[in-house]
Amino acid sequence: MTPLAPGLVTRRRSVPWTVWVFGSLAALFVLLGAFGPLLVGNVDSGDLQQRLLGPGQRGHLLGTDGQGRDVLERLIAGARPSMIAGLVPVLVAGAVGGTIGITAGIVGRRMHALVMRTLDVFYAFPAVLLAIAIAAALGSGTLNTVISLSVVLVPPIARIAETETMRLRDMDFMESARASGAGRLSIAYRQVWPNVRPALVVYCTALVGLALVFAGGLSFLGLGVAPPHPEWGQMINEQRQYMFTNPELALAPAVVIFVASLTFNLLGDGLRDLLDVRRPR
Amino acid sequence: MNALTVEELQTSFGSIEAVRGVSFAVAAGETMVLLGESGSGKSVTARSILRLYGRGTRIDGRVRLGDLDLTALPDKQMRAVRGRRVGLVPQDPTGALDPLRSVGSQLVEVLRVHGVETSKLDARRRARDLLGLVGIPDPVRVMASRPHQLSGGMRQRAVIAIAIACEPEVLIADEPTTALDVTVQAAVLDLFLELQRRLGMALLLVTHDVGVAEELGGRVGVMYAGRLVETGSVRDVLAAPRHPYTQGLLDSLPTPGIPRSELRVIPGRPPLAGEAGAGCAFAPRCPQAVTSCHASEPALVAVGPGRAAACPIVNKTLTAQGVPA
Amino acid sequence: MTRFLLRRLLFVVPVLFGVSVIVFGTVKIIPGDPVALLAGPGASESAKDALRSRLGLDRALPIQYGHWLTSALRGDLGTSIAHQQPTRPLVVDAFDNTLILTLYATVLALVLGLTLGAVAALRPRGIAGRICSGITSIAVSAPQYSIALIFIIYLALRTGWFPVSGMHGVNGSGLGDLLWHGFLPALTAALVPAGVIGRIFRAALLDVLGMDFVEALRSRGFSDRRVLLHAVHNTLPSLLTMAGLQVGYLLGGVVFVETIFNWPGLGLLLFQSISSRDLPVIQAGVLISALAFVLINVLVDSAHALIDSRVRTA
Repeated sequence: MTPLAPGLVTRRRSVPWTVWVFGSLAALFVLLGAFGPLLVGNVDSGDLQQRLLGPGQRGHLLGTDGQGRDVLERLIAGARPSMIAGLVPVLVAGAVGGTIGITAGIVGRRMHALVMRTLDVFYAFPAVLLAIAIAAALGSGTLNTVISLSVVLVPPIARIAETETMRLRDMDFMESARASGAGRLSIAYRQVWPNVRPALVVYCTALVGLALVFAGGLSFLGLGVAPPHPEWGQMINEQRQYMFTNPELALAPAVVIFVASLTFNLLGDGLRDLLDVRRPR
Repeated sequence: MNALTVEELQTSFGSIEAVRGVSFAVAAGETMVLLGESGSGKSVTARSILRLYGRGTRIDGRVRLGDLDLTALPDKQMRAVRGRRVGLVPQDPTGALDPLRSVGSQLVEVLRVHGVETSKLDARRRARDLLGLVGIPDPVRVMASRPHQLSGGMRQRAVIAIAIACEPEVLIADEPTTALDVTVQAAVLDLFLELQRRLGMALLLVTHDVGVAEELGGRVGVMYAGRLVETGSVRDVLAAPRHPYTQGLLDSLPTPGIPRSELRVIPGRPPLAGEAGAGCAFAPRCPQAVTSCHASEPALVAVGPGRAAACPIVNKTLTAQGVPA
Repeated sequence: MTRFLLRRLLFVVPVLFGVSVIVFGTVKIIPGDPVALLAGPGASESAKDALRSRLGLDRALPIQYGHWLTSALRGDLGTSIAHQQPTRPLVVDAFDNTLILTLYATVLALVLGLTLGAVAALRPRGIAGRICSGITSIAVSAPQYSIALIFIIYLALRTGWFPVSGMHGVNGSGLGDLLWHGFLPALTAALVPAGVIGRIFRAALLDVLGMDFVEALRSRGFSDRRVLLHAVHNTLPSLLTMAGLQVGYLLGGVVFVETIFNWPGLGLLLFQSISSRDLPVIQAGVLISALAFVLINVLVDSAHALIDSRVRTA
């Protein structure tokens, strides 16, 4: 839907290759998350006779871990909690933070100051620590990880939404909308949202990469899915003990998270070029 | 010997020719106005004189400062010329100043880099004097101010002060009044004239505003599509133009007393750099164009003492009428 | 400038107040009854009640908060459940070690990031520029635990170039030993900030180099080196805007680095406290980190205002 503001029409250029490549890769990750566990069945227990096999041995592409479980299968199964913890918080925080930010941008000065100061309090925390604190308080499990990350991601999204809204506020077309008697809600929906949306989409896409890393970190610390269920971050921590003899056991999930994060970050970059969004200052 | 001589200057950005053979000379104490719309190549000419373009730009022709050939000068010596013997007043005064540093420090820097003053103390004193010279009433305060704390007019004066700090022989001003209020424009133009009188500089001023040319006097060169189409004294050219483009420019000026609806606009638009075809660049829009105009580009020929024009049609008509140049 | 500083510091007070509320609050949302935990299974109701009133947990929440806050301001941050020691010295010692690591990482991040960004901006079309640009993009996405693992395996275990863990060697003490032990952890922590700094510096430098005043500087006859100096100076505001957040990321991210490299800092302490559910330590740790973060941001903002006077009136 083209935004209604004159002069702000997004230039439709040809889709950059980064969007194709990383978009497909991202879709692959999402699909793995959705259908992974169905593909591989039970990966919680393994054959102790086959423990600690190196990569490529006896049909195990990535080898087996200390309990004889196939690493590749566990990676695929572990995609679901990891992807859920990466995607859902961004969606939730995107909705909540976007609303807060746009609202803060439209309302009067006092409300705006109140909202922004409250956000600043959350900004006083290093994000990772806040996530850890909340997750530690709530306990382990994917749901608590999602809650914790959602809370942590709301302030930065709100800030981006507010910045973009304030930027639009000074533009002429907003004045004409107000002058024509449009109510604030309709202005928000019709004028602000379509123009803020590209920036938010780009930011949130990159944020998925960050959320995946955070989620992996939380489960690394033991705050995610409880063993023996697989989850990428947790697998890294679990297999650290075999670092000396079978380093690939911990490396495999570590590399997977890295690649996933890279995928969504670069996808965000590509989308920024496509939607012609300015770099955040 | 002229202070500034430009001979057949040609500037191309890749395959695009922005300046296609411009020649003029400015003597010490004399004013030359390059008049033209945006895209006419006047700013490019100014910058080409100072060789401010990077490696992708090709400059042909000859530019002489007195008897020094600027075009053949190695980079290091060119840097000694810039800011010292030739000053530039850039177009946007706000853009020309470092937003993070005080005006005073920027002035002092120019003085010390070119060795006009060596000690900081002397340089500061000189900077204060310069600010006073350009008509700033409170030099001490302005010295300590950052650009955003000053009005547009003050900023322009500060930029001018920087440009003349080393008492250059030639001062080039690129659209110095465009970013200013009308009331301030007149004051700045007066400043230029006074500085010229005091320092004996040759002044080359680039503008699209006919009024500015009128105000300054001196000589004018009308540019269109990268070439000079008419030259002469401001008074003569504006009173009796010898090129249809100049005529069109003058006709489109609003004059008090004449209702707006009668303003005549030159139809069409100027060609973009690189667009010009075989014939006279102005021919597609010219009310007096004939077939020969589209065939070959007319040369700039003398049409009288100190006057030249590049339109054989107008020349023929006027000569036939017995009009003196 | 002083007015700006005063305003900024004044502004810190409500933020810190809010921070303390959140830290206090996170403990309170923990499901389950702490008294039941402490008293043990099979304790009688009256015993639990006695315990509850002794710990002050039967008072209203705001009163509990006030209690906690006044104690904290006096320097009493409770007693660690797992270590059976006062929390504060435990946390402060660990924080000192984290500070060392963070400083080291900041230096590395700056050196790496600024170099990458500069090359990427000054040679945008050359191969060096593109590689540097690519490295910044990759660095930004690098999860700390992944990088830490890769470094340990390939730079320490397999090659022996660097120690695998710890802050000091067995015999070692002194700066050289510290730097050697700290290199891999600091580098790991520095990668993401280096990537971010690199990207911002590149963008800011390209931005500034395209601005009018760069041409104006050249028209004054200044050498390329002098022009570049002024250009870089003008990128500082953009850099400083992001600097505070990056330090925050560093402070937070040390948890993983310290855990994997066994660096005895606040991060490792927090990790252990999470496993043992040692709440006073978790609270104190997060509180101190938030405090440090707020102070660092004040410093960064002040530096920003010092350099760019336009910010002071905003």
